[in-house]
Amino acid sequence: MPSPSSPTPGAPATIRTHGPTAVVMALMTAALYAVFQYVPTESEMGLVQRIFYFHVASAITAYVAFLLVFVAGIGYLATQRDSWDRLGQAAAELGVAFSIVVLITGPIWAQPVWGRFWRWEPRLTIMLITFTMYVAYLMVRAYGDPGTRTSRFAAALGIMAFVCVPLVRFSVNLWAEEQQLHPVRIALDPRMLHARYVTYAAFAALFVYLLRLRLDQLHLRRRLEELETQVEDDVP
Amino acid sequence: MTEPAAPADPAAEPNLVEVRGATRRFGPVAALRPLNLTLAAGDHLLLAGPNGAGKTTLLRLLAGLARPQQGEVRVGGADPRRAAGARRRIGLLSHQPLVYDDLTCEENLRFFARLYGLDGGDETVAAALARSGLAERRDAVAGALSRGLKQRLALARATLHRPELLLLDEPFTGLDAGAAADLVTFLRTRAGEDGTASVLVTHRVTEVADLVNRVVVLDGGRRRCDRLWAGGDGDALQALCAAATAGRDRARAPA
Amino acid sequence: MSLVGQTLAILRKDLLAEWRTRERLSPMIFLVLLMLLVFNFSFDMAGAPLHRTGPGVLWSAFVFASLLGLQRTFAAERDNGCLDALLVAPVSRTGLYLAKALANLLYLLVVEAVTLPLFTLFFSLPVGAYLAPLPLVLLLGSTCLATTGTLFASMAGHTRLREFLLPLLLLPVAMPALISCVAATGAVLEHSRGGAASWPPALAAHLEMLAVYAVVYSTVCLLLFEHVIEE
Repeated sequence: MPSPSSPTPGAPATIRTHGPTAVVMALMTAALYAVFQYVPTESEMGLVQRIFYFHVASAITAYVAFLLVFVAGIGYLATQRDSWDRLGQAAAELGVAFSIVVLITGPIWAQPVWGRFWRWEPRLTIMLITFTMYVAYLMVRAYGDPGTRTSRFAAALGIMAFVCVPLVRFSVNLWAEEQQLHPVRIALDPRMLHARYVTYAAFAALFVYLLRLRLDQLHLRRRLEELETQVEDDVP
Repeated sequence: MTEPAAPADPAAEPNLVEVRGATRRFGPVAALRPLNLTLAAGDHLLLAGPNGAGKTTLLRLLAGLARPQQGEVRVGGADPRRAAGARRRIGLLSHQPLVYDDLTCEENLRFFARLYGLDGGDETVAAALARSGLAERRDAVAGALSRGLKQRLALARATLHRPELLLLDEPFTGLDAGAAADLVTFLRTRAGEDGTASVLVTHRVTEVADLVNRVVVLDGGRRRCDRLWAGGDGDALQALCAAATAGRDRARAPA
Repeated sequence: MSLVGQTLAILRKDLLAEWRTRERLSPMIFLVLLMLLVFNFSFDMAGAPLHRTGPGVLWSAFVFASLLGLQRTFAAERDNGCLDALLVAPVSRTGLYLAKALANLLYLLVVEAVTLPLFTLFFSLPVGAYLAPLPLVLLLGSTCLATTGTLFASMAGHTRLREFLLPLLLLPVAMPALISCVAATGAVLEHSRGGAASWPPALAAHLEMLAVYAVVYSTVCLLLFEHVIEE
């Protein structure tokens, strides 16, 4: 996909597609194969257990994304550079997206296994609370006037929210000690371990790919706004 | 039309205010292009220009209320955002009175006296009230005052700590003729004092012609004009400001 | 002027203004009363043992009222534009934050001091020495609410979310503290069956957590405040 090369250092010359796309697709295909063909059906839970690989991988990815938001927040408050601000935004969006995957796959798994779509057991509850914090983060970004003030609010929230993640974990675990319903250790067929790793790798690749895509997009949008303003001001 | 700046000899003493390469954006809009400005004690500056030129932005940078994205701002050698000592030398008078409506005049001034660490306590406050002609209204709740009286209280608040640098952002807004005249008198007196400086942002250029000794015109975040003003005719001042911004359309002069 | 001096000066000013108008305390207290009413009809308070539903009712009422009170933290500064006057004064941002957070804490404690007796009255909670740990729970919980609420209240005026911002942010962020508060209150109320004035065993763990939360929230919010309050 050709596009004009940008004079600004760091700006993408094109929206990168070919190489990374192939990698992500390959890994995802491998993961799908691993999860649906390679791994044996788990004895207790049956077919639905296969969703576990995507469920857990999504959860890990979401938390990694939130960690990135935290780092981006600190980076922005320290340097005032917009690139940190864009990283925070992109990472938060992806974190929320992957959280939604967790919150949907959880009940899908739960219904046949626990008999109900939702139980207030620790890990899902923690994910739900964390999800609400970052949805609030995205709302602040969406409803704030564009500018450094909103970026600073978002950075502060990104820091605050991540600090709360372990606190939420402690509290909810304490609150629901007897209600731990997540299986602690799934059966130990080595093929399951392989499948897990492949899935993690696939999700990591997907995350990085989407992050890069979104960052490029945000950067280009900012560049476009700057150019528009320059044209309006009639300045070369 | 750009004029080179010609303030007092910089080697004589350190400048009161130094702005170097300051920029400020709001989203994609650049409110200030890289701007340089120095002010020495004794400069009473009129900051003029059309709406959106960046005058208020510059004022807020000087007050330490906003941070420049690039460049730096120094008041008395220190960054007003960081150094409380720099802020002690600044007084701010805005188009809003910046006083607490629920407190009386006396309580307002006493609060600000405490904030500024003024030792005089009650005497300082009483003197300030007397100076502003608010002594009989010391126990009136600020919210009940008329706009003109509130602005007097605001002026008392802004000058309570005898700031060297007084920043005024559209201070004549909403004032009737009498109140505006009071403010003009005050500014005239101040202009005659030693060791003080002011930056006045106002649209009412003709009325302040004999209160200022320097004119800086901003347009589109750029400095279009910076020259001394020897006092005199309000209309001439108005014409000067208009000419500075008109030049922009004719030729693209570098800032 | 020292940090303590500045903090006290601003705190004094806030309390003076509040004393004159009572525009936050009165509505907050009245709102808690209304909430208790609503909860009485929403839950079977007479049927289930009080230590089951009581803590939730109590803390829900507090949180709701405190949300409305916290909204007004910077109202005086916003209405009159005085925030600029405070920021241009040689006052440290830390001092400003501490003053506002302390004021909020005081208001919350006053509201709770009124609510608790009302609660014991309405729901026939036997009063006894076993209730002694409760003020500590209230203090720690209120500290968590006040510190985070002050930070978020300073943001509230600057987005289109306006009054929605504070609840949307405060509720999830303060949730760990709320969970612990409710659990701790439940432990205290349940211990009434024991009769003696001894410390219920589970309570220590909850109080430790609350103390940790209070410290973490205060520190992080304090550090973040100066970045959020400036333009």
